[in-house]
Amino acid sequence: MSTATDRRVPDDQVAPGEPVTPPGGRPGRDALSEMSHPHRGRMAKDVVARIVMWAAFALAMVPLVWILGTVIGKGFHMLTTATWWTGNQRNINSDDFGGGARHAIEGTLTMVGFTALIAVPIGILTAVYLVEYGRGRLAKAISFTVDILSGVPSIVAALFIYAVWVTTFGLGRSGFAAALALVLLMIPVVVRSTEEMLKLVPNELREAAYALGVPKWVTVVKVVLRTAFSGIVTGVLLGIARVMGETAPLLILAPYTKNFQRDLFNGNFPTLPMMINQDRGDFALSTAAERMWGAALTLIILVLLLNVIGRVIAHFGSVKK
Amino acid sequence: MSVSRISALGAIALSGALALSACASENNGATPGAGSTAGGSTAAGDCFSGDLKAEGSSAQKNAIDEAIKAYQTNCADANIDYQPTGSGAGIKQFIAKQVDFAGSDSALKTEPKDGKIEADDAKASCGSDAWNLPMVTGPIAIAYNVKGVDKLVLDAEVAAKIFDGKITTWNDPAIAALNKGVTLPSTPIKVFFRSDESGTTENFTKYLKAAAPDAWSYDTGKKWTGKGEGKEKSAGVATAVKGQDGGITYVELSYAQQNQLPMAQIDTGSGPVELTAESAGKTIATAKQTGTGNNLALKIDYATKEAGAYPIVLVTYEIVCSKYADAETGKKVKSFLKSFASDSVQKGLEAKGYAPLPAEVATKVQTAVDAIS
Repeated sequence: MSTATDRRVPDDQVAPGEPVTPPGGRPGRDALSEMSHPHRGRMAKDVVARIVMWAAFALAMVPLVWILGTVIGKGFHMLTTATWWTGNQRNINSDDFGGGARHAIEGTLTMVGFTALIAVPIGILTAVYLVEYGRGRLAKAISFTVDILSGVPSIVAALFIYAVWVTTFGLGRSGFAAALALVLLMIPVVVRSTEEMLKLVPNELREAAYALGVPKWVTVVKVVLRTAFSGIVTGVLLGIARVMGETAPLLILAPYTKNFQRDLFNGNFPTLPMMINQDRGDFALSTAAERMWGAALTLIILVLLLNVIGRVIAHFGSVKK
Repeated sequence: MSVSRISALGAIALSGALALSACASENNGATPGAGSTAGGSTAAGDCFSGDLKAEGSSAQKNAIDEAIKAYQTNCADANIDYQPTGSGAGIKQFIAKQVDFAGSDSALKTEPKDGKIEADDAKASCGSDAWNLPMVTGPIAIAYNVKGVDKLVLDAEVAAKIFDGKITTWNDPAIAALNKGVTLPSTPIKVFFRSDESGTTENFTKYLKAAAPDAWSYDTGKKWTGKGEGKEKSAGVATAVKGQDGGITYVELSYAQQNQLPMAQIDTGSGPVELTAESAGKTIATAKQTGTGNNLALKIDYATKEAGAYPIVLVTYEIVCSKYADAETGKKVKSFLKSFASDSVQKGLEAKGYAPLPAEVATKVQTAVDAIS
């Protein structure tokens, strides 16, 4: 906001309110009538730019609103059925109505939680290394590797884990194996976003800490990471949101079960994307289609809730200025 | 709690005994010599607790879902999962020991493909012979959507020409010759096929090849080689035909029923045959067993001319180890498949668009299941 007003001409009195005022709003028109000739051209450009910006914004909103509208419209009534939040899909076949999604919700949260447990420390520590310590070849190599990793399609990550876990070691497919593949997908997101946040921490803060005789590692933990905290949380949440709806690793590594399954290490594992996939196969049946939309909406709500929780944590945890 | 459970068991046993005495012919052969437990109580009798994993053919998904439901209703501690990922995937996971048994639209191949012989790989993985047990028969319907035509008769040759794009309108003389007295419109024929690899496609093309070798020049296989527009999965082709006047496709009976599509009768040379569980069962009954002993791989005679036999059928198998390395797994598989092959469960499949196993095949399957360890 402040940078926007700084750039404006000094006599433009209404500037601070303008960016949020729709085109043709009162202040703009009043300003226009008072303007001298050379300003008129500038104002016209401003109006055109604003119209283009709003049009682009509206265009970008179309798919979002459309998707949300469709999913809520078709799936919301499933969420209000008695068993949705408490039951599982045991003995509910594709042409049976309803059932619960509790097993899949629990499964998705468990799996993603476990993924975050592995990926977040690795990701943050890598970023700290790259920003605070890393110089020379090693840092370059790591940075390059992270770049490559962030470009790896989820199916490739899944097949890699399958090749290692199942083909080489002969272990069974399980929720844990899928979590490992998700870790591969989550690490680059966390590293990249944390790195950006750490770079934003002003060097003066570090220098001030050193001037007080604080060792480097304490500076990193107590000053740099504290300052960047809210940004790091946002990055972690982006990473979680990225892996939560990821389906390819689940298809390959974690077969779906309709039952409650809390063991991440043995047997099939229920997750929301796989529940959606299961019912997608029978979309001609209204019962299965309804369940599919319900599960999709549940997944969206979970991601949304996580975002809200993260925002709250970031808000209360951030350094007061 | 326990009292009600005991009384429930008693009731089941009693009804089982009654059913047994009422129609002795229906249940015998399942477990000869174990008459006291054979009747109706297959699922309630021996439950396992724990997980059982299976994967494979999507053609039998609805059937095995029903069987699982029936079993789990009686056995609260049993969890059975079936992943409908396709026959090929199921066999691969079975050989890789990722699942306890596989569902497949075709028996394990005994001839080499890509340097590997499926049957040998499965045998090596099991440490014992792997058996193909026919468990579900799914008739394939030729479903169509033509305004004003409720009854349609086709034969193999005309069907082959339609699916090859050689017959392009519904009032073609070749179709009219088979449907005397029916007014056929001049609507263009729109063929829909399965764009994904499918056992249904394989069996349908096998039928065309066997029954109309002159008209169908393509190879048989899981991938469609004829003409038309591709749609994904059975649900995809069925909904496509439903929304297209003049549309025609081949699809499992259950999907044709779900979408209320009319189905063509097939003239095999001895009169038009309607698709029913019974007429499809007749074709299965004429199938030859190609496996030995309890390995019940079947060879279907698609060109059958037997009166009242509907020739386009698909047999889906459960592929199991004859002797499991882990005895506990063997017990689980045996217990579940015993319930699956039982008359009561097989009868229930009819409502889902499948045909129950003909009596003599069912008897063989039940004997084989009993031999699993």
